[in-house]
Amino acid sequence: MIEKVSNRTIETIDLSMTYRTGKIEVPALKNVSFTVEQGEFIAVMGPSGCGKSTLLHILGGLMKPTGGRILIDGIDISSLPDSERTAIRRKKIGFVFQRFNLLPTLTAIGNIELAKKIHGNGSLERNGIREIIEMLGLAGKINAHPSELSGGEQQRVAIARALINQPSIILADEPTGSLDSRNAHIVLMKLKALNEKLKQTIVMITHDSEAASTAGRVIEMKDGQIRTPVSKFEYESELRTAVRIHD
Amino acid sequence: MENLIAANIKSRPTRAVISILAVALGIILLLIIGGITKGTLDDYLDRTISIGSDLILQQKGSDALFAFSDAGLSIKLADRIREVPGVEMVAPVLAKNKSLSVVFGIDPESFNKFPGGLDIISGNGSLKGYEVIVDQKYADANQLTPGKTYNLFDHDFTVTGICRPGAAVRVFLPLKTLQELNGSPGHVSTMFIKAAPTADLDQVQLELEKRLPGYSIIRSDDPEYLLSSLQLPGLKEFRITLILISMLLSFMVILLAMYTTIFERTREIGILKSLGASRKFIVGIILKESAIICCLGAIVGIGISGIIRGAIINQFPTLQIAMGLRELMTCLLLGVLAGILGAIYPAYKAACMDPVRALSYE
Repeated sequence: MIEKVSNRTIETIDLSMTYRTGKIEVPALKNVSFTVEQGEFIAVMGPSGCGKSTLLHILGGLMKPTGGRILIDGIDISSLPDSERTAIRRKKIGFVFQRFNLLPTLTAIGNIELAKKIHGNGSLERNGIREIIEMLGLAGKINAHPSELSGGEQQRVAIARALINQPSIILADEPTGSLDSRNAHIVLMKLKALNEKLKQTIVMITHDSEAASTAGRVIEMKDGQIRTPVSKFEYESELRTAVRIHD
Repeated sequence: MENLIAANIKSRPTRAVISILAVALGIILLLIIGGITKGTLDDYLDRTISIGSDLILQQKGSDALFAFSDAGLSIKLADRIREVPGVEMVAPVLAKNKSLSVVFGIDPESFNKFPGGLDIISGNGSLKGYEVIVDQKYADANQLTPGKTYNLFDHDFTVTGICRPGAAVRVFLPLKTLQELNGSPGHVSTMFIKAAPTADLDQVQLELEKRLPGYSIIRSDDPEYLLSSLQLPGLKEFRITLILISMLLSFMVILLAMYTTIFERTREIGILKSLGASRKFIVGIILKESAIICCLGAIVGIGISGIIRGAIINQFPTLQIAMGLRELMTCLLLGVLAGILGAIYPAYKAACMDPVRALSYE
């Protein structure tokens, strides 16, 4: 396999995860290896139970794999204690969830500023927040509570919250899963535009092929394993081959 | 920036109010019962000091507050005390309890020589037979004026004088009359002693202890000294118990409230963790929220205690409830401390939650 050495944001090497319930072992990920380059927008597709969410949680440092390694900007987080994984998540990762996961007691701006406070990013000007809010079309909604917002608006607030600290990676777990098609389209277009403008790496979990088509590359998973090329280089070379055959 | 802690408290107003009131209850308990205890003791000390004696003689092993009602000293002892060099005057007094207050049987001639003798503000101040002098507060509380009849110990007394408040006790009877009513003729409970201005008080005390070895002689010119000389059984333990009960109440209320809260907020904690919140950050949120609830509880408790104190004093003007700045600050600190202690375990539980499980919590 020809591997192009590049500016990798994410690299997993033989990543495995097995859940244990008493004596029962359920493998969720089996030797998953792939790379994501800086500024890439990839979609991870696969049926329910194929290990997509587990993969995303491990990429975000929310859980430790039972085997293999995972490198975020060159740092192996699989061996780090919880406090250090939390610090990496705080500095480098922004999460977007299917169910938005906004704090219901805070307004839209409160939710966004909370992320800033957790990050300790006091230097970020209010202008930074305003720019992101305007980019996501939330200007008139910043003082509304989540319960006063539509699903699409809540998801855009969640995206703003994920972006506010300018993380190098955005991990999106079925970001359109709870939205109608119109709002899903808006959210996907926003993610794509942000990826193009801010050059942040986006890993999006989805089972919707239309949503996946927004991404620059698609990784398919089945039974805890990857079934498609594992790097951008491989993906592009496969694409070139396919084009040549077609020609 | 919008405050997460304030938003959390505001989002659950009923629980916040109940928690605040429960903490307030502990503070009220501490302030009112503790205040009555301290107020009564302080009042006793102030009144004892106000007599202007330098030394108090009573039976050995007696508990100062209650010794007054024990007529164990022969009145002839007064003459032996007067013989001691440096002693200027002696006032034998028989004290008898009446409900929560104390009545003094005095010999006006010897008692009024003391600096804190009776300062009559109305009436002739005569004190013989079945005559009684009361202080202004007692008179107001019982609607007494000179010439009125007042029943004490199942006997009718004529009010002959109203004295300024602050004198030793609030009710004064003739010594002989009280001795008869008490069934202890020729006996008193306490001797108040005044040393000559030129005398060395320590020397006088030593000489008295030497000549009268079977008696307890304590300094009464300094409240701190007098307090330390008192043998008040269980007072310290009572105060500590009161503080502990109050703190335990706050502790348990906060423990329960916060424990419930973190389970309700499991998903929110998961969200905070996904945002990169450290354990310290999560612990800080829970502890600060508890501290705010307890602080509000303490403030409400102090406010309600003030109202209760006013109502009690209005109903029972002679009752003393000490509620100074020191007591209030102590309550505030204890309330907040108990709340923080109560929140430590729930905060720790919250900080240790598995973020993935927390995020999937329904």
